[in-house]
Amino acid sequence: MAATETFRRPFLERLAHHARVVHVTAAAEFKLKYSGSALGYVWSVVKPLGLFGMLYVVFGRFMRLGNFPHYPLYLLLGIVLWTFFADASTLMMYSLVGRGNLLSKLAFPRLIVPLSVSTTSAITLCVNLVAVAFFIAANRVVPRVEWLLLIPLLLELFVVTLGVGLFLGPLFVRLRDVSQVWDLVLQLMFYASPIIYPVGFLPPWWKPIAFISPFVQIIQDARAVVLPHTPVGTAASIYGTDWGYAIPLFTGFAITFLGYLFFRREAPYIVERL
Amino acid sequence: MPRYAIEVENVSKTFRIPHENRNTIKEHFLHPLKRTSYEANNALRDVSFTVEPGEFFGIIGPNGSGKSTLLKIIAGIYPPGSGTVRRHGLLSPFLELGVGFNPELTARDNVRINGTLLGLTRKELDKRFDDVIAFAELERFVDQKLKNFSSGMQLRLAYSIAIQVEFDILLLDEVLAVGDQSFQEKCAATFTRLHAEGKTIVFVSHDLHGVRSFCNRALLIRNGVAEALGPADEVVDHYLGPTHDAASPPVAAAGER
Repeated sequence: MAATETFRRPFLERLAHHARVVHVTAAAEFKLKYSGSALGYVWSVVKPLGLFGMLYVVFGRFMRLGNFPHYPLYLLLGIVLWTFFADASTLMMYSLVGRGNLLSKLAFPRLIVPLSVSTTSAITLCVNLVAVAFFIAANRVVPRVEWLLLIPLLLELFVVTLGVGLFLGPLFVRLRDVSQVWDLVLQLMFYASPIIYPVGFLPPWWKPIAFISPFVQIIQDARAVVLPHTPVGTAASIYGTDWGYAIPLFTGFAITFLGYLFFRREAPYIVERL
Repeated sequence: MPRYAIEVENVSKTFRIPHENRNTIKEHFLHPLKRTSYEANNALRDVSFTVEPGEFFGIIGPNGSGKSTLLKIIAGIYPPGSGTVRRHGLLSPFLELGVGFNPELTARDNVRINGTLLGLTRKELDKRFDDVIAFAELERFVDQKLKNFSSGMQLRLAYSIAIQVEFDILLLDEVLAVGDQSFQEKCAATFTRLHAEGKTIVFVSHDLHGVRSFCNRALLIRNGVAEALGPADEVVDHYLGPTHDAASPPVAAAGER
């Protein structure tokens, strides 16, 4: 099979062009998400906070899952990070089909679509993290230099989530019931991961399995970094060695790399399968 | 300067159209023995031609003959099934009535997105934005959502963007289809100007009169096969004339170059 050979601009110019496209489309995406709603962007903060409120009342108060310092913050941090993953992966799943009109008219790198969608979700995450910062301040947790470790953790979260989205987008183009399956998988992952409860609640045999997931590792590490006085199980403590990090990091890398390969293979045929 | 603006070499394209659309997992896994039968739709069969730089090139043919598929392959939206397409120069596509607008966004946002996708920087966009809107005569509707636009208004905006970006090759699919008289005249004026500027234009249309008056050469496609290639007038005559007049084909067959 031969491909269409095209005239190409110089590499840097192309890179700048793609960056501009991601910027413009992500901004439009953000607008679209809340078009026609009165509260608009406010929802992006209200929704995770609402979820947090509900889960806190049910699991924190009624069921007393969190008998340790700063459980509300522990829970909030987990929910905010989880919400990013759930939102971004779902949006990326629908993104190619949703932009079929544009895809069928202009030849641009298809990777731009999931990338701009996940960037939009990343903006929302940042807004949510500001809300978390207020809670942290209200709880009088003292800021530490170690908090800077959040930056690589958030980058890891972004990249691995993108990797998952690179699978979901083209899969949804091929099979529309991927969306039903993904809804269930998200629910399953949510309850199988220590998001609302501490790692200690997990059966011993499940702990090493849970930490295969890079999302569990990221959420736990973020909590450990922000809440030093709360006992948080991390990949290192579960596997008993710092090398334990290799497991979730490898999974994350594999997901992203394979997702990229899959997306690259599917990209040319997306339009004709829509 | 390259010798050709566009080189299409032995391009074929087959779409596999499943007889029964299998789009759910159930259909895939519950009936593993029932093989989906596909109907091969040979949209294009071994099409070859070249377009020279600065040429105004027409593509004509009946509905469903493969014109739009060919244009989409040239634009890089479909990969060719076999064969190669080479383009030399920046491309500005106008395919199937538009450049891919989002109906939920305003004209302003749509122009920003499409302009950026077509290669404009922020500065260039700011500079040309008013020109785009003015040419489309949509000043009053800049901040309205596209879904409230008539098809003629959308077409004007799409065409306006397509000609305001930097390009060497312009692909036009049915640009005259839904525009009113005054817009068609405006289009004709820009065609003449762009042609004089040395731009390459590929023009797909059912408006044979337009093809005659604008195009240097034309290609006739029927059932996915390039049936005739040559001076626009002769190809249009061939298309209109008694097609079974095998004794004296008015134009050389497409294969002979």
